[in-house]
Amino acid sequence: MKVFGWRWLVTNSVIFVLVIAGSLVATAETRPQYGGTLHVAMRAAPSSLNSGDCTQPNSFASRNLALLIFETLVTTEDGVRVRPALATSWQESSGNQRWQFRVRRGVKFHDGAVFTPEIAASALRSANPLWNVIANADSVIIESDTPDPGLPLKLALACNAIVKKTSDGKLSGTGPFHITDWQPTKKLSLAAEENYWGGRPFLDAIEIELGKNYHDQLTALELGRADLVEVAPEQSHRVSTDGRRVASSAPMELVALLFSRDEQSADDKLLREALAFSVDRASIRSVLLQGAGQPAGSILPNWMSGYGFVFPTEADLPRARHQREQVRSLPEWTVGYDASDSLARLVVERIALNARDAGLTLRPTTVNTPDLRLVRIPLAAADPRISLENFAAAEGLPKPQFNAGSAEDLYSAEQAALATQRLIPLFHLPATYGASTILKNWTVRSDGSWGLADSWLGTTKP
Amino acid sequence: MRRAVYNAAIPNMLNRALRLAAGFRLALQILSLIPAFVGMVQAADWSGPEEQLAQKIVAVIGPGAVSLTLENRSSLGRRDNEVIGNGLRAALEALGLRFVKPEQAAASVAITLSENPSSYVWVAQIRLAAGEAAVVMVSAPRAEGPAVPRDSVPFSLRKVPLWSQEERILDVAVLEENVAPTRIAVLDAEKVSLYRSQGGKWQQEQMLALSHSQPWPRDLRGRLIAAKDHLFDVYLPGVLCRSTTSVPLSLSCHESDDPWPLVSGSLLMGASSGTPTATFPNSGASAAIPVLIAQMSAFFAPTRNFFTGALAPGVGKFTTVAKFYSAAAAPREKYVLWLFASTDGQVHMVDGFTDLTAKLGWGPDLASVRTSCGAGWQVLATSSADQAEDSIRAYEFPDRDPVPVTTGVDFAGEVTALWTEAKGDTAVAIARNRETGNYESFRLAVACNQ
Repeated sequence: MKVFGWRWLVTNSVIFVLVIAGSLVATAETRPQYGGTLHVAMRAAPSSLNSGDCTQPNSFASRNLALLIFETLVTTEDGVRVRPALATSWQESSGNQRWQFRVRRGVKFHDGAVFTPEIAASALRSANPLWNVIANADSVIIESDTPDPGLPLKLALACNAIVKKTSDGKLSGTGPFHITDWQPTKKLSLAAEENYWGGRPFLDAIEIELGKNYHDQLTALELGRADLVEVAPEQSHRVSTDGRRVASSAPMELVALLFSRDEQSADDKLLREALAFSVDRASIRSVLLQGAGQPAGSILPNWMSGYGFVFPTEADLPRARHQREQVRSLPEWTVGYDASDSLARLVVERIALNARDAGLTLRPTTVNTPDLRLVRIPLAAADPRISLENFAAAEGLPKPQFNAGSAEDLYSAEQAALATQRLIPLFHLPATYGASTILKNWTVRSDGSWGLADSWLGTTKP
Repeated sequence: MRRAVYNAAIPNMLNRALRLAAGFRLALQILSLIPAFVGMVQAADWSGPEEQLAQKIVAVIGPGAVSLTLENRSSLGRRDNEVIGNGLRAALEALGLRFVKPEQAAASVAITLSENPSSYVWVAQIRLAAGEAAVVMVSAPRAEGPAVPRDSVPFSLRKVPLWSQEERILDVAVLEENVAPTRIAVLDAEKVSLYRSQGGKWQQEQMLALSHSQPWPRDLRGRLIAAKDHLFDVYLPGVLCRSTTSVPLSLSCHESDDPWPLVSGSLLMGASSGTPTATFPNSGASAAIPVLIAQMSAFFAPTRNFFTGALAPGVGKFTTVAKFYSAAAAPREKYVLWLFASTDGQVHMVDGFTDLTAKLGWGPDLASVRTSCGAGWQVLATSSADQAEDSIRAYEFPDRDPVPVTTGVDFAGEVTALWTEAKGDTAVAIARNRETGNYESFRLAVACNQ
């Protein structure tokens, strides 16, 4: 009886261990873990970390890098609701022409300096020369010539991050990570800020390699040398079907043909219309973009405006020819593209073929002064008014006039921008990233931003 | 920052909770009618934009014969789509339009129900017989969708809403109850808020600020535990707060490395030898044999989100276990098996003599509840990794491997906390609603098979 009991115990123990330890592999990793170094690779190779110029479009990469180190007065996760950051509360007066932001107390820059309204005001003045920014006791006051109900959303842009220059010319921020090594255009090393007012990040450090092309990034991810990489739009479908973890923003990047000058004559107008009608966006998307993105007839994507679908995107070759046939002398246009962007070259060549079918002559070139060029412009924010304003400012279009907050008002402003015939929208592309399975609690927001302060590295792969 | 004075969503759910005693099925039937009611209310709200759009269309084409099409490109459901379509037709007819076939029409109107992140956008593309085209549109603010109540089955885990707010909830303590909670305390990163239920609505009674000199760690955790000689204690990383006894209350906080109780205060009854203990039945409601659980506390890392593993006084010979996120007791006839959800993803089963590790597919939050069902206790565990929406399920340990005794209850997002309540027979779960972003707290109770 004693022997039987011993055998029974051993047998059951073995079965228990096998069942428990072997058959169930999922792990309890939903609670964040501290520690580890995140390895990131990106295509952008910025020479400066300061994105404090709100009149220029910043790449998604530049914005995301800046917001690891620096912070804005307010923030937004969905582009609609504004949340406190370095400002704890705010109020408007004078019909949205004067905004007062009460700054957070007890915040320090990475160099130990205390965050003050004066420093905040100075940074905002530098990024927005048209604003009147005043430091007042515990507040920052911003005044503008015209009512600006969207000002808090603008302050959430990376270009409005509060950046302080130290005495030796280095940049200091208040964000969750501080700089440990900065090699412009090559490498950025960050470490967790232990006393960050919002709580120390879970990650110990982030190593970011800059200037890596898409292919090298994907290889690094496959070899386990990178945990977070960018994925080319035309590769996003293939990468996701290969079983890798891929996340995309909403379509936030506008691909367009941009003329270097305003239309010069009635003939010029007709030819620009002919070119716009000739572009076969559907086949370009299907073949070159491998189904990524959305054909665009507008500056703002439909998800942002709600009315984007009213702008036609289908090719209309008969109409293109009809417009072209009204013009006697046909110029040869040079169309420029970024020589380092292989997709841009293919798209331009395809558009040249479409144009030829309509009787137009386009010559692709990489020279600096083409008649028109293919541009890829990241829209500034999920807010349509801010995106349209920034786009117009960056590309030299007339400033959009918003008379009311309605969708129809926005539509009128966008229609006016398109009526200049300076640009032919082609596609809206998402920002797409590939991530290692050990990177947890990381998502790409609709505006292409990602916050790594709440991300963490798991110990095992699911 | 919005201050929660009156929580609109929860009192309705709490009213249903009041009816739980009379019949949970009845409550579910009532719940099932709510979406339809909400839909009716929303339908009535469309009249404004319907009339505005109709006026804009008629301003372009004037009264007469038109063809009309309607397309829904928004997240509006089929019923709303029908209601809006009918409303638009009625509004257009009232302004003098007649609907005819396209070949008979002087103009065609294509209405599209679209949306952007903040508004519904209704667009009318108008094409006149002369070939002219026009676009008019109106926008209407988007409403948040109604919460859909989840299922319940016999011998189930029931989920009763307690409180919801925008700020992260760390813990909720029910201070008074009469069938349903009538007074609660809600702990978040900056304060403890006391609410009293009056006429089915929560009214804020008092708000007590927490003081702390160091920044809180990320993934902040905290416990709010009812006390005997005063109202409650608050355990936070590196900070201990104690309330006064009488109203108006005050809260005194100081830096502290005192361990956090793993078995809450009111379970510590029935001590026969000076050692605080809790009693559990061990084998069903009718044949319960008391099992004593010694008081157990654990030290919490002041700048992290886990317990260091140091126990006070310990489980048998073990005074230290692996770093863990949560713990649950599983009383046996002669000993108590402690389960620790460790930070490496494994569950440590410690009985005082051995420390067995296992990968059970559980998440990081465990809690135990004493009930009159089955073995008399159950361990509640969150589901494991990488799901946008968590669930919690109850398990028993007839031997050493867990056996699920309920189906999982789902949450509309990630479960951020799970703690056993003071009386030990229920637990509080807190989850962040993925759609609204709000933190929602629930009482979890195991209901027996009847």
